[in-house]
Amino acid sequence: MKSKLLLALLTVTLAGAAVAQVKTEDAIKYRQSGYGFMAWNMARIKMNVEGQYNKEEVIKAANAIQAIANSGMGALYPQGSDKGTGWEATRVKPEFFTNKEGVTKVAMAFNKEANEMAKVAATGDAAAVGAQLGKLGGTCKGCHDDFKAKK
Amino acid sequence: MNSKKFHLWDLPTRLFHWLLVLCVLAAVISGQLGGNLIDWHGRIGLLIVGLLAFRLVWGIVGSSYARFRQFLPTPAQIKAYLRGEWQGEGHNPLGALAVFGLLGLLTAQVVTGLFSNDDIAFVGPLFELVSKNLSNRLTGLHHLLSNLLIGLVVLHIVAIAFYGHVKKQKLVKPMITGWQEGDGESATGGGLLALIVALAVAAGAIYGASGAWLPEPPPPPPAAETPSW
Repeated sequence: MKSKLLLALLTVTLAGAAVAQVKTEDAIKYRQSGYGFMAWNMARIKMNVEGQYNKEEVIKAANAIQAIANSGMGALYPQGSDKGTGWEATRVKPEFFTNKEGVTKVAMAFNKEANEMAKVAATGDAAAVGAQLGKLGGTCKGCHDDFKAKK
Repeated sequence: MNSKKFHLWDLPTRLFHWLLVLCVLAAVISGQLGGNLIDWHGRIGLLIVGLLAFRLVWGIVGSSYARFRQFLPTPAQIKAYLRGEWQGEGHNPLGALAVFGLLGLLTAQVVTGLFSNDDIAFVGPLFELVSKNLSNRLTGLHHLLSNLLIGLVVLHIVAIAFYGHVKKQKLVKPMITGWQEGDGESATGGGLLALIVALAVAAGAIYGASGAWLPEPPPPPPAAETPSW
């Protein structure tokens, strides 16, 4: 009995360690921060494509986007977080939590283009970066259109 | 067929109409597709600003049938038209409502677009003038209006098809050639001076909407890099 309890306790502790419990409010804050930070980096890349191109700047920005894209942000959408306020009221649509297949599709498309963006940035080819920025932005829009409420 | 005809739509009105058709089509497509086309969406929007400004001035100083005063419908005229008692040339009272509706919606659409942002990497040319929060609300309105606008355009086209097939009134041909069959009076007015004024206002509107007059944000020194951290 005692050993069973201990085992249960251990399991809970381990599970807790693997997936840190995040308050809904914090989860919303974290994900909003992630998107806001990526928006800054998207704008940086665009500025470099339109103005004077600085290869190192673009690499930094592209790597930042890639890192966030691959960070497993999907974990920041716990059940019930379709409503709530982080830095501001969340704008995720309820469909995000019911249409798993659709979400996976737009998320994977975004990851693919974010990874590609980092590769293209490393080449320093401004025209290619500009074209890839369009593709990447298109995958942002793919999710916004379906899963982000208009104000 | 030796029927009479008269000059209905002046050339600037026709050019305006068909350029607007092309621009709205291009704006809808570029807006839906997104990606790098969003930059073209913005440029086309500025062109539409110019077209609308031109039409608003042309509605005052243009030739007779293009003037708003000529076709601004009164409720009595609309009622008469629905009873089939309206007589006249140019925009009929219901068509005039559609014209004002389309011009009004399009104006609201370009104005909201100027302050919009897409939360990705695009902002409208006057985005700097408003807060992010207001820009978000205007962007929401821009999306909503686009649906209304598409609906009204569809209605416009369906109505033209209806007039053509059921009422046997060809509305497209005069909008292309300028000539209408029948014995109405030919359009007058809208001379060169009026055209120059309308074009000047349009150019001014595009300049204003483009935000080119906004103070340049202090440019970062060319070689500037963010710190290594």
